[in-house]
Amino acid sequence: MTLPYETQREIELFLLREARLLDAGEFEAWLALYAPEGIYWMPSQPGQTDPKGVASIIYEDHAILAIRVRRLLEARALVLTPMPRATHLISNIEVAGGAADEFTAEAAFMCIEHQGDRQRLYAGRHTHHLIRHNGSFRIALKLVALANCDGRLAPMTIPI
Amino acid sequence: MTAAVDHPLDRNEIRGLVRQDYVHRRAYADPEVFALEQERIFGRLWLYVAHESQLRAPGEFVRTRLAAHEVIVTRHQDGNIYVLHNRCPHRGARLCMVDRGRTRLFTCPYHAWVFRPDGTLSSVPHPQSYPANFDLSNPQNHMQRVKHVQSYRGFVFANLAEDPPPLTEHLGEMREVIDNLIERAPEGEIEIADSSFTLEYHGNWKLHMENANDIFHPSFVHSSSVAPARAAPANASILDEDQTREMLLANGFGVKEWEGIRLNGIAGGHTFMTSFYDKGVLANRTEDRVAQRYRAILAERLGAERAAAVLAMNRFNNIIYPNLLINAQYQQMRVTIPLAVDLTHIRVHCFRLKGAPDEMFHRAIRFLTTIGSPASMIFSDDVEMLERCQQGLITQAGPWVNFSRGLDSDRRDGNGSVGGAASELPMRVQFEAWVNYLTQ
Repeated sequence: MTLPYETQREIELFLLREARLLDAGEFEAWLALYAPEGIYWMPSQPGQTDPKGVASIIYEDHAILAIRVRRLLEARALVLTPMPRATHLISNIEVAGGAADEFTAEAAFMCIEHQGDRQRLYAGRHTHHLIRHNGSFRIALKLVALANCDGRLAPMTIPI
Repeated sequence: MTAAVDHPLDRNEIRGLVRQDYVHRRAYADPEVFALEQERIFGRLWLYVAHESQLRAPGEFVRTRLAAHEVIVTRHQDGNIYVLHNRCPHRGARLCMVDRGRTRLFTCPYHAWVFRPDGTLSSVPHPQSYPANFDLSNPQNHMQRVKHVQSYRGFVFANLAEDPPPLTEHLGEMREVIDNLIERAPEGEIEIADSSFTLEYHGNWKLHMENANDIFHPSFVHSSSVAPARAAPANASILDEDQTREMLLANGFGVKEWEGIRLNGIAGGHTFMTSFYDKGVLANRTEDRVAQRYRAILAERLGAERAAAVLAMNRFNNIIYPNLLINAQYQQMRVTIPLAVDLTHIRVHCFRLKGAPDEMFHRAIRFLTTIGSPASMIFSDDVEMLERCQQGLITQAGPWVNFSRGLDSDRRDGNGSVGGAASELPMRVQFEAWVNYLTQ
């Protein structure tokens, strides 16, 4: 179903806002974009559909993400000193409508993470399941399909 | 990175690197020491390469590392397991470019030499162009085999030495942890999970093995995940029955909970922790419905007494020297793979207990994600410290690393030694073995 341009644009701006909050280190505001039962999922295998019987790099709901966010804002987190600075690029956005007030957005992303004297590059695709909420949206699911999810990885710091 | 030494290492020099309570930074940062480790530790000891559940059918294979080599572990039509160098004997090209699979034959894409899963040469195209004495059955034309391959209850090990002692001799009493892991499966069999992680860090391989049996660091290194977990409400997650939060909390133990924990070392450099659960240090789920159902199934198979004894096994983070770590309680395994003096991969796996409820496997997967993922709120901080150690050990300044904690209270115990929770005994045991292996 093709969505009206206004709705498409609204969704695009929502995705860009999420990216900007991550780049700005405003993790509490970022978490507030998630529905109470919302899930952030970064699979460990391409095309992975099973989050229980197959390990995920991250598979967390709002409650666990809240711990992660507090850790991000906690000065003692070793892996976060110095605090990384991220730049997200969100592109190739395609949105589709489902049931009333439910939407799916697909996008390509790149995230360049700068920390101390090193830079890391992450790339892949995002899928967002969004629910209309108070004139904006809430994230029911964010799926981060990292292109190298099954490769060797260095420790990861902030959500991508 | 390191100033090269201008003479080859001799045995006395190696002995001089390790004192009772100190080790020289060269053990971590000197490429020549690393080369010697590759030759005399990774080139001579039994190293884990695969689990037989990955090699059930003929033609199934796993690609992995064995010391400095890339190898393919295969199951041949004859039922045997072979470990083959991943290299075509014709021009030297890497043959296999995937980590797992099943194939009847391995074909080199360059000039199409074709090999059987035991490494023998099956055919070459245009045979008339080869000289008359070219012989398909000449081992020189075969994928090179690692001579010594032995399994212990499904765990496949390979050894590059000419004439190594039997695998069981090397494993010694560490066999108990493998036995226990298998006995936890109601059907007496385990399967390695398809999914695993490979984590890369810029640090020496030994740093990870030392950290795994160090009880002292978690309250410092992991405080940034303990504090938020403590502040978070219980049972708030809709995904994992609070497993993640409890695992984060488990690193928050302090001096009081330490009491009773023992650190153990045995000949050959193996180390492990005991009495981990006596004071509820780690959440040992026994009360919930999944665990109860599992215990009932196990008791039905083994008898109540035996099942209770199996589940009561109280050894944690069992390190089989040099690079294998098994944690039977949570069906976890780590393999540390040194690539360079300052570059290491850690493969993190878990197992399925055959005959146990699916939820038990889901918990093992959850454990793998929470502790073994690159994005783990626990492991990432560990790795950060391993890298900082390496960064600090690069230069000559203050060349001695101290591992004296617990030295005065450690005691000899049968075949090995035992120390209190705060002890650095595992590190001393590992380095004692290290010197022995390197000077043999």
